[in-house]
Amino acid sequence: MYRVRALTTIAYLSPMIVGVGLISLYPIAYNVFISVTNQNLFHFRRYSFVGLANYQSLLKTLDADFFIVLARTFLFVAICIPLFLGLGLLAALALNHPAIRFKAFWRVALIVPWAVPSYITALVWKFFFNGEFGTFNQLYRLVAGPQAGLPWLTDPNWAFGSIVLANLWMSYPFFMVVILGALQSIPSELYEAAAIDGAAAWSKFRRITVPLLRPAILPATVLSAILTFNTLNTAFLITAGGPFTSAAKPGATELVMVYAFREAFQLFNFGYIAAFAVVIFAMLFAVTLGSLRFTGLVREEAR
Amino acid sequence: MRVLSRYGVPALIYVFLTAMVIFALFPAFFVVQAAFRPGQSLYSLTLSLWPDHPTLDNFTYIWTKIPFPLWLRNSLGISVGTMVAGLIGSATGAYALSRFRFAGKQMTLILLLAIQAFPSVLALIPIYLILKTVGLVGSPFGLVLAYMSVALVFCTWNLKGYFDTIPRELDEAALIDGCTVTQAFWRIILPLSVPALAVTALLMFLTAWNEWVMASVLLLDENTYTVPVGLYGLQNDYRVPWGYFAASSLIVSVPVMALFLGLQRYFRSGLTVGGVKG
Repeated sequence: MYRVRALTTIAYLSPMIVGVGLISLYPIAYNVFISVTNQNLFHFRRYSFVGLANYQSLLKTLDADFFIVLARTFLFVAICIPLFLGLGLLAALALNHPAIRFKAFWRVALIVPWAVPSYITALVWKFFFNGEFGTFNQLYRLVAGPQAGLPWLTDPNWAFGSIVLANLWMSYPFFMVVILGALQSIPSELYEAAAIDGAAAWSKFRRITVPLLRPAILPATVLSAILTFNTLNTAFLITAGGPFTSAAKPGATELVMVYAFREAFQLFNFGYIAAFAVVIFAMLFAVTLGSLRFTGLVREEAR
Repeated sequence: MRVLSRYGVPALIYVFLTAMVIFALFPAFFVVQAAFRPGQSLYSLTLSLWPDHPTLDNFTYIWTKIPFPLWLRNSLGISVGTMVAGLIGSATGAYALSRFRFAGKQMTLILLLAIQAFPSVLALIPIYLILKTVGLVGSPFGLVLAYMSVALVFCTWNLKGYFDTIPRELDEAALIDGCTVTQAFWRIILPLSVPALAVTALLMFLTAWNEWVMASVLLLDENTYTVPVGLYGLQNDYRVPWGYFAASSLIVSVPVMALFLGLQRYFRSGLTVGGVKG
């Protein structure tokens, strides 16, 4: 760390600061501004100030869209993360087993879902789930007869589960890679010493593997939870937020970002959704800051 | 018991791994077979895992009858633009944040963190309205600007993180020997950071190449579409063979998947990548 002339500092920082200021910071400030106006499709140019009315309608009752969508997204994250983590952990443990041959092959094959662009993942799974031509119902008809079909995307609960499945496919490799890296950095002496002391496989796993994996798993989980909270492609492209049971209520797979996208770019309620964005952002930023304190997700930034 | 752990456990693991590989690769296999499937034959009620008469018709069609080559060119231009502008815009700033001591540094870092916590879908709302006001909705340049709002912050974090790992003694010694700050940056830091610069650049490229949401809102004319927007339109209508979508998907994703799989050994930690793959 060294001191340089103020002019040098400014020269080095300015491209980034000016850029970030103009194209990242200014839009965020502008978003706060829109959130106190009634800008929408009917008042696109001639909008007026409405104070905190958008925030009020956002939070007015417990059955407001905001809380429905938020609760549903929390549920989505709460279901997804253990599945991602569990499958990723199993795959990593399998890949790390000393008796397994051709590790490079298995590893690359299992990472493939991570490498697929997420919009393509979504559109392919959307086809799998199709009631008539979808592969899953084609398979199901083999066992259940030609008239059968499961409501993959047409029943609210099934649709929610389908989205979880598509996201599981896409997301477990991240945990697998993180955990595999951590497993490989555990010194084998620890296991050998435990074996000499007569430890069983399960207690080796409990007492050595799990504690030593924790520092890698914790930040990965926080990051994945935030990304899963922000899911858009693999929900919107598959179900468009539906199925919808009532015109006045959010659809069954309308997660936070799907809701924001629909309200903004299909219904054009800019003022309202800007207020929504401010509240969601405040939550996400609090989580980010909080997670920094206890996981070291971004280390030593305070130095 | 010993026999079980000698043979039984590995056998079980192989069964599990095989099941996982089927799960992991089936969608990719499905797209490949669909790409070679003629006409509407995919729209069938019964399962068929390989076309009876494989054909290249879908590839010929997308290459000659729809603006797919144009979408590829648009995507390439926009992704390269985002990548280059993101790196150039962030490298010196990342260096300053890693090495200089100045007032407001802490503030800057927290600000960058806050911006990164702002989901791009939500950021798209004000960006759309601003671009609309200045008449850049529909323009590829507007889309690059929108991508830059993510790219600059991401590149700054990523590069600063890498610069921090370069031993300070190296550039400090150079400064004591009479090097200027600029020389230390160009002659010491940048050459040592080539792998990090390359990985950051490629991640930026991949992010822009694979981005659908912003592009779908900010591009209006079929001739300015990037590949993701174009592909979205190819799969939404059951009168159009899904094979067109499958063939296009193969062409756009095989190279970037190869790149991603080849590079993943060099990712400093999965976390950096996880943060950007959208």
